[in-house]
Amino acid sequence: MSSPAIKSSWWMPDIPKSTVLRRRMLWAYAFVAAPIVALLVFLAGPILFSGWVSLHRWDMLSPVGDMPWRGLQNYVFLLTRDSIFIKALGNTFLFAIGGVGANTVLGLGFALLLNSRIRGRTVWRVLYFMPVITAPLALAVMFAFIFDRNYGVVNSVITAMGLPRQPFLSGPNQALMTLVFIAIYQYVGYYIVIFLAGLQGIPQDYYDAAQVDGAGNWQEFRFITLPLLRPVMLFVVVTNTIGALQVFDLVFATTGGAPANSSMTVVLHMYNTAFKFSRMGRASAMAFILFAIIMLITVMQVRLLRDRTYQD
Amino acid sequence: MNRHEKSLLQSASSALKYLVLVGGAFLMVFPFVWMMIASLMTAGEIQMRPPVWLPAAPQFSNYSELARSIPIARLYFNSLFTSGIIVLGVLLSSSLAGFAFAKYRFPGRELLFYLILATMMIPFFVTLIPVFFIVRQLGWIDTYQGLVVPGLTSAYGIFLMRQFMVTVPDELIDAARIDGASEPMIYWRIVLPLVKPALATLGTFTFIGAWNNFLWPLLVLNSRELFTLPLGINSLRSLYADNTNLLMAGTAVAVLPMLLLFVFLQRYFIKGIALTGLKG
Repeated sequence: MSSPAIKSSWWMPDIPKSTVLRRRMLWAYAFVAAPIVALLVFLAGPILFSGWVSLHRWDMLSPVGDMPWRGLQNYVFLLTRDSIFIKALGNTFLFAIGGVGANTVLGLGFALLLNSRIRGRTVWRVLYFMPVITAPLALAVMFAFIFDRNYGVVNSVITAMGLPRQPFLSGPNQALMTLVFIAIYQYVGYYIVIFLAGLQGIPQDYYDAAQVDGAGNWQEFRFITLPLLRPVMLFVVVTNTIGALQVFDLVFATTGGAPANSSMTVVLHMYNTAFKFSRMGRASAMAFILFAIIMLITVMQVRLLRDRTYQD
Repeated sequence: MNRHEKSLLQSASSALKYLVLVGGAFLMVFPFVWMMIASLMTAGEIQMRPPVWLPAAPQFSNYSELARSIPIARLYFNSLFTSGIIVLGVLLSSSLAGFAFAKYRFPGRELLFYLILATMMIPFFVTLIPVFFIVRQLGWIDTYQGLVVPGLTSAYGIFLMRQFMVTVPDELIDAARIDGASEPMIYWRIVLPLVKPALATLGTFTFIGAWNNFLWPLLVLNSRELFTLPLGINSLRSLYADNTNLLMAGTAVAVLPMLLLFVFLQRYFIKGIALTGLKG
């Protein structure tokens, strides 16, 4: 309600003089009160508390006031001496790079296919989207069986073709790659739908004009589709990266980080550290390191991929 | 190239297109199909070498055995009940706060909105330990409250609702005021009906998220009577470590109804995804 009675600075407008407007203002406070309190208690407060805990040693049982101060020791320990954490960081990066790369390429590829003259677009979309809405835990259980070393159907096919049996999830060199495959399977449908919506938002006129100028398919893709898809690409890469760096359910229910931590990820290691070994300080420090990495990567991706057309 | 060759090339490339799509779709559907096939095998057939591709006789008794060992109806009730409450809470809190941010001026509005934007980017794992601690201090471990209350508000939801409510014309609201409508009435009768598509989208996402959530229920719940479906599947992993056929039956029971629902409602699902994906 922009009313002349209210003059606002950016953070604190003057309190309105008329009773009508003042009553309206009170209603606004009534509307935001409960949600804001909930966000403070369950989000803003906890992140501050988590930062505080990360500087202490704490098992969650001893009183909050008595936590022994550790300064940055938790962080130093994680980055220099916790070999599982360092391994988990590397694994999580590989997992994210593999998954995001494949999902972007496959998502765009299949979206282009579905955007061309094709029958049964709805049916294809539904089929590709099914894993997206399925519980990650359920998919993990399904795939643990499909890739089982002894009874898995993939090994049945491989051995029927006369090739050697593969360990997949139980092999130190294959576990992480198998997890990447499952993650691609799970989310590619989501990115197909996002890319498809982006493609359908590009005005047909551009292509018509390009055809008049004699542009080929590749040129249309390179000089029209790809540049205009940039915001969608940014959304896909950023959300997919953020999601992949936090993977938990999938790893928990397939390998549990085994064999020999070859598929351990940061959030799973954090979960173990906190809820199996009761080292809340160290686990909180882990969370903050990962959070910082996620923010850094997001900023880099936004800078790299954002639309510069209007800025130069 | 003559016309005949051209049309041949075209149909070849279109055949290739369908081939790729069919191949991809096969990969997508196969795990579900294989889960169902395996759920109808005997324990022996699963471990047979050379492998068996289909059960000699479908073992529907697997499902009745599953029903004897886990309370399927109870798991469904728990999942539906808790996800339902979370959806209602998120829709109500997001739309109320979004309405205030979009259509009112009040001291502290900008400041509070920055708070929303900042908390929107906090990943769940950063707040996991403190929220668990809070819930434990409240004595809510192993209760529905503990599972549900931390999820009743969503910073993203507030942001999304605000973005949609800003587009509701002020004239509409002023006209309602002149007609004597109270502020809550304006929210309920004027603004909410106008943002129904956004509500449907937010509700769908919240529901899928709550329904599929695993880590939080895993931490909060201990007793089987309160377990949600993902926790139920998880408990089957150890229970049926040697009976993969029953494990697959359990997974199928947990997964298939949701898939069916999706197939019926897919149009709204997918529209909503495109909506938030491109606006959010």
